[in-house]
Amino acid sequence: MRYIKLSSKNFERFFKALGIWGKVYGPVKKGDIYSFQEVQRLEEIVLDYNRTMLPPKKFFVRPKDTILRLKNGKWENDVEEGGFVLFGLHSCDIHGLKILDKVYLEEPVDPYYKARRESAFIVGISCIPDEYCFCRSLGTDFAMDGFDLFLHELPDGWLVRVGSVKGHELVWKNEELFDEVTDEDIQHFREFEERRARSFKRKLSKEGLADMLDLAYSSPVWKKYADICLACGNCNMVCPTCRCYEVCDKWINAYEAVRERRYDSCFMENHGLVAGGHNFRPTRLDRFRHRYYCKSYFDPSAGFNCVGCGRCDEFCPAGIEHVKVLDEVRGSLQ
Amino acid sequence: MSENPYISYDARILEVKDMTPREKLFTLRFVDPEVGENFSFKPGQFVIVDVRGFGEFPISLCSSPTRKGYIQLCIRKVGRMTKYVHKMQEGKIVGIRGPYGNGFPMEKMEGSNFLLVAGGLGMAPLRSVLWYAIDTGKYDHIWLFYGTKAYEDLLFRDEIVHLLKHGEAMNCSVKLAYEIESPSCIYLERGFSDRVCKGVVTDLFKGEEFDVENTYALICGPPVMYKFVIRELSNRRLSPGRIYMTLERRMRCGIGKCGHCIVGTSTSIKYVCKAGPVFTYWDALSTRGLI
Ligand SMILES: Cc1cc2nc3c(=O)[nH]c(=O)nc-3n(C[C@H](O)[C@H](O)[C@H](O)COP(=O)(O)OP(=O)(O)OC[C@H]3O[C@@H](n4cnc5c(N)ncnc54)[C@H](O)[C@@H]3O)c2cc1C
Ligand code: SF4
Ligand code: SF4
Ligand code: FES
Repeated sequence: MRYIKLSSKNFERFFKALGIWGKVYGPVKKGDIYSFQEVQRLEEIVLDYNRTMLPPKKFFVRPKDTILRLKNGKWENDVEEGGFVLFGLHSCDIHGLKILDKVYLEEPVDPYYKARRESAFIVGISCIPDEYCFCRSLGTDFAMDGFDLFLHELPDGWLVRVGSVKGHELVWKNEELFDEVTDEDIQHFREFEERRARSFKRKLSKEGLADMLDLAYSSPVWKKYADICLACGNCNMVCPTCRCYEVCDKWINAYEAVRERRYDSCFMENHGLVAGGHNFRPTRLDRFRHRYYCKSYFDPSAGFNCVGCGRCDEFCPAGIEHVKVLDEVRGSLQ
Repeated sequence: MSENPYISYDARILEVKDMTPREKLFTLRFVDPEVGENFSFKPGQFVIVDVRGFGEFPISLCSSPTRKGYIQLCIRKVGRMTKYVHKMQEGKIVGIRGPYGNGFPMEKMEGSNFLLVAGGLGMAPLRSVLWYAIDTGKYDHIWLFYGTKAYEDLLFRDEIVHLLKHGEAMNCSVKLAYEIESPSCIYLERGFSDRVCKGVVTDLFKGEEFDVENTYALICGPPVMYKFVIRELSNRRLSPGRIYMTLERRMRCGIGKCGHCIVGTSTSIKYVCKAGPVFTYWDALSTRGLI
């Protein structure tokens, strides 16, 4: 890793310099929630936001996306637009993208996702956890890769980790904005990280979790929560690692049609429905449990399918808490 | 963007054959000869049929890769898309992408016996295995146990009846079970009293013994069938690693992206479209929700 310093006085110029890469999106406050939106000026961005409602996946796997256009009986690709900057991603969201990478960049590669991934410039930013965060339990509280630049707050600026050639090139072009890191900066960086580590209020005990949950398949706890759950699918929409999609063809005029994909949710009754009316997950209990199993799937090469961002808790209208469900299910084994 | 895995290739419908009131057999050939040349597959794999502007759906390849120059799909009319395709005539174009899925491990099974157990539409992917085995001659003996509702539901009727009569010359023994009586099945039953009977597919197991050390069972049928067939096989102590089955799930992409076909729990999540649709019974024992 390469470490450099960006002092507060150069921050604004740095932000402007990012603009040469393309449109800049950052967390802004909309009513009570935060959301990644296009920004022109640094002041629009809320640097100490906790979490956006929709995670940055929306830039790569869009809620609604036209993938093909039918012209004269032939499919054509939709052309991709140029580069863009995602400013201010938290570590958990960067990990979320890495989980999506495993799906979309694995052979056969999804060309839409890949093109957007390649045209994105990602600037991470350090954060302080709130009552919903449990990324530390999952090891996703710190990103070692998956970004171009990562900004860590210092009293008089930012310690910048350069995570890619792209990041390096941007720094290169704007050399005059950066300084060498001093011992004092390192000391501050360490203090911040230690304070941050102490601030986590929520903890997921993940030791043997995958096996424990598997063994607790018939636990009454699943049913208890499935009964409260509204099956609204909010938790799927906001999760940085959920990416099930539906596909639908639409005619736009007599000669042209488009093929669209849009977010789907495993809480919807027809998610596992096949021809003849057979449903592989017919009850809400089946579907509720399925989501937890999918999120708690442990891939030895990549870890869990959840990054502990706390979105599903914050945006669940039934007040269902992810960690609590898992703890109770595990507890019901004894 | 050079290669887009979601774009299908043009295939022309060469022939449409009514098999039953619900099922039609479509014979297709890729319009671009180079695409046709490069399209190779294994029995048990499937394609996505693309009716551009209307939608896509997965269908098993029911022809054998040994028979080149065309592919065949047996499509049951069940809903919006399949109804649409059933109206299509010879000469029309559909999109095809694939082949997808793992298919049966044909090479690994060389030299062994096959027990093919088909229920209803499950005959479609197993027909590919059947013809592959007969054409290559690399397998020992083939049993086909096939259960349908009625004689009228029998898929590939001519082929099956031909095998019933002359199969032994090709090392192939066919047994049929039907649930609803009709003059045709009574006629068949009279001719082949030891091999055609009223009942369900598991009734065909009565009195049969298999060399379990040298036999693979390949099963395909409606979800309810698996449990009962597997019980018969387990009673005969056929190893779970020698029992293969091909499964159906809702599928959108066919390539492990859309998430619809995911099965399993926190230790065993699998995509049916990529890890399957062919699984062993051992996979089912270690993956909850597979069958
Ligand atoms: C691996 C595999 C192999 C198959 N092989 C065959 C075959 O050889 N012959 C055959 O007749 N059928 C086969 N099917 C089932 C076939 O895909 C469905 O019957 C077909 O998709 C139904 O579409 P529909 O629009 O006519 O039905 P509808 O009931 O109208 O379906 C409604 C919607 O659900 C979707 N849908 C329904 N069932 C399925 C399904 N099983 N998988 C994915 N999407 C579904 C349809 O695309 C449609 O948009 C196979 C399915 C799978 C997964
Ligand atoms: S957000 Fe809450 S209520 Fe809605 S589906 Fe998810 S768990 Fe159920
Ligand atoms: S399951 Fe909940 S906490 Fe985990 S990544 Fe998804 S939204 Fe975040
Ligand atoms: S069919 Fe889309 S993931 Fe399997």
